[in-house]
Amino acid sequence: MTVYAPLELNRLSSRAEFEALVERAKARWDALWNGDHTVVTVGVGSSSIAKGALDVLAACQQAAAGQPIIVRQVGVDGADWMEVQVQVKRPGAPTVYYGNVEPHEIPDLLAGRLQSKAVGVDGDVAYEGIPPLKEHPFFKYQHRIVLRDVGVIDPESIEDALARGAYSAYLKVLFDLTPEETIAEVTAANLRGRGGAGFPAGVKWESGRKARATPKFVVCNSHEGEPNVYKDRRIHEGDPHRILEGILIACIAVGAERGYNYIGGEYPLAIKRFRKAVQDAERLGLIGKNVLGSGKDVEFRVRTGGGAYICGEGSALMYSIMGVRGQPRTKPPRSVEEGIWKRPTVANNTETLSNIRDIINNGGAWYASIGTEKSAGTKLMTVQGKLKTMGLVEVPMGITLRTLIEEVWGGMRDGYKFKGIQTGGVSAGPLKEEHLDRPVDFDSLTDLGGMLGSGGFVVFDDTVCAVDFARYLTAFNRFESCSKCVPCSRGNPALVEILDRIRFGRGSLSDLALIERTSKHIIELSLCGLGQVAPMPLLGMMKMYPEEFRAHIVDGVCPTGTCPIGSRQTAATTAAAAD
Amino acid sequence: MTQHVSPTANRKEIDLDEVREIMSHFKPRDYQEAQELILSALQEINERFGWVSLEAAEIVAEHLGTTANRIYGLLTFYADFRTEPRGNHFMLLCHGMSCYVAGSSRLVQELADRYGIRDGETTADGELTVQVVNGCLGVCDRAPIVKLDDKYYGNLTVESFNEAIQRAIAAGKSGESAK
Repeated sequence: MTVYAPLELNRLSSRAEFEALVERAKARWDALWNGDHTVVTVGVGSSSIAKGALDVLAACQQAAAGQPIIVRQVGVDGADWMEVQVQVKRPGAPTVYYGNVEPHEIPDLLAGRLQSKAVGVDGDVAYEGIPPLKEHPFFKYQHRIVLRDVGVIDPESIEDALARGAYSAYLKVLFDLTPEETIAEVTAANLRGRGGAGFPAGVKWESGRKARATPKFVVCNSHEGEPNVYKDRRIHEGDPHRILEGILIACIAVGAERGYNYIGGEYPLAIKRFRKAVQDAERLGLIGKNVLGSGKDVEFRVRTGGGAYICGEGSALMYSIMGVRGQPRTKPPRSVEEGIWKRPTVANNTETLSNIRDIINNGGAWYASIGTEKSAGTKLMTVQGKLKTMGLVEVPMGITLRTLIEEVWGGMRDGYKFKGIQTGGVSAGPLKEEHLDRPVDFDSLTDLGGMLGSGGFVVFDDTVCAVDFARYLTAFNRFESCSKCVPCSRGNPALVEILDRIRFGRGSLSDLALIERTSKHIIELSLCGLGQVAPMPLLGMMKMYPEEFRAHIVDGVCPTGTCPIGSRQTAATTAAAAD
Repeated sequence: MTQHVSPTANRKEIDLDEVREIMSHFKPRDYQEAQELILSALQEINERFGWVSLEAAEIVAEHLGTTANRIYGLLTFYADFRTEPRGNHFMLLCHGMSCYVAGSSRLVQELADRYGIRDGETTADGELTVQVVNGCLGVCDRAPIVKLDDKYYGNLTVESFNEAIQRAIAAGKSGESAK
């Protein structure tokens, strides 16, 4: 159908031409939703493809042939529990969201005979007995800024993105604001780094702007190598232009000649969609020489990683971009003085940069009013474990863990009992039931040995053994150690060895002291931030579940029967498998 | 049964003309950009053939003005690359935290017990190569999950895991790129 046909994309040479294109994109968007045709939208992302989203999409296209139906694809909106998700907008009715749709159900769904799978409708009021989607606990607590258009726009269509306001902040930064004013907004927003460290982005940009060496660069860290986080790849798959706009704004603000996005190689779909976004932006002249006639130049490069966790560390990431092994170096000099090719480089996390558009458009004060005083704004959070409504959510900082677990994520699945929640990925310790009323922000969990980190939580049930889990987390850090410095590359294997001794029933109480001592060495002497926190999960497990460690050592049993000491498996095969 | 496939056994040659064709798309404008493109080039080759051979590495090195040694340093550092060919079927076994708490250790164990392979290895009959993913495949609500050739298998038990492997092997060799 012609209503939703792509627009002609030519190089734009002025602000007026850009604004005219945005008007056309908005008209196209309005025509899509207000015509006398049905719009069928399928959420297609790496997680839903695993559940057959491409088959569902094909079934929709087949059913739509010759009918007044427009079929489109969007990124997945975070509600993993309702994948494959199909949205149906009929003329004169609100959009209805269907969950867990199978390809063979499409004819029934389009004929309106599958209302049992309708989860919610758009808007504030129920429609034909289907409640508003935003009242579902999974969506009720969310405040979507970064995710606003994820699951709404077609990630491969710059027209969709423009209709929803993409590059509006970039335009302001190019024409209306000075770099100082741009940075002042980011500083006023109190936007702290979303990669885990929580360093204020405004301060970083300011030092980048003040650095005197040239050329300068901006790097978006989209590596996300932790074993429990999938937020950044969802933004790439759902709204790549938002990330690109954030990077371009950063380039203009700090005076960088080139922006980079470093994406983990294990996310082919994220890379594909982001590259498409860059191509389209280049075609429109949003990247290149004399952008929209503003006299400003900015270049862009996409670089991909190769599956090394360490490349999430700033200096390692930059070495990886330069085509060598990603091994961190000692600091100072910091990256903002000496980064890529020894030039000043500002590195920010994907999620941090994805907030920039709204901060520039609505002002830093608006952003600072969301969340808590010291941790402003919203945070993307992911969860894993046996929960009912799992997925990626964007919630204001300061929400409690209990609200997240029991309401947003629906509580434990039937037959599973909550035991603890691992925080901060592989860099911090677990929390227990009695800590769940703590607010979640950058600072509130640290005194318990927990951490917000990049917002990945793992809920584990009482079939998981604390000693075995600690070994898993320590083994991860051992595997991912880059081998550059001795405390980390030798210390972590030593910890795994001690844990294995305990798991096999050959541990002694002195081993606990040995763990503490070895951990202290690793924490104090390791070169980079990853080594310095590598023993944290183990120490956290020992702090929260000392009785389980004692049971293995003193009583010679594994309370959950997970470890070789309490199971039928022979020691030799388990040791082999553990690697 | 536990046997590491030697680099010479079951070797599938990489079509070097195709490697040259892939490399012809990489047009660095200066020395720095050439350096930045090494990993991307290796990734494309690894994706296309499932591994990077010494001969392919030499072509990359020559095209981008570096040495095969340097390339090998990268291939052995980054976990995604392989320097040996894959078996007929390729499995990514997710061992992220979600899969761990849902019991992926049992699947790793089963691979060792029944198939005699560990992370990165290929079965003696050349049918199956496994890569244990330390990160996350991002399909956490179906944990534990594996990606076998192009298909995902979720909510696995040891039984359904074996069944998936047996069915894939019985169905024959996966697509020529063995993705």
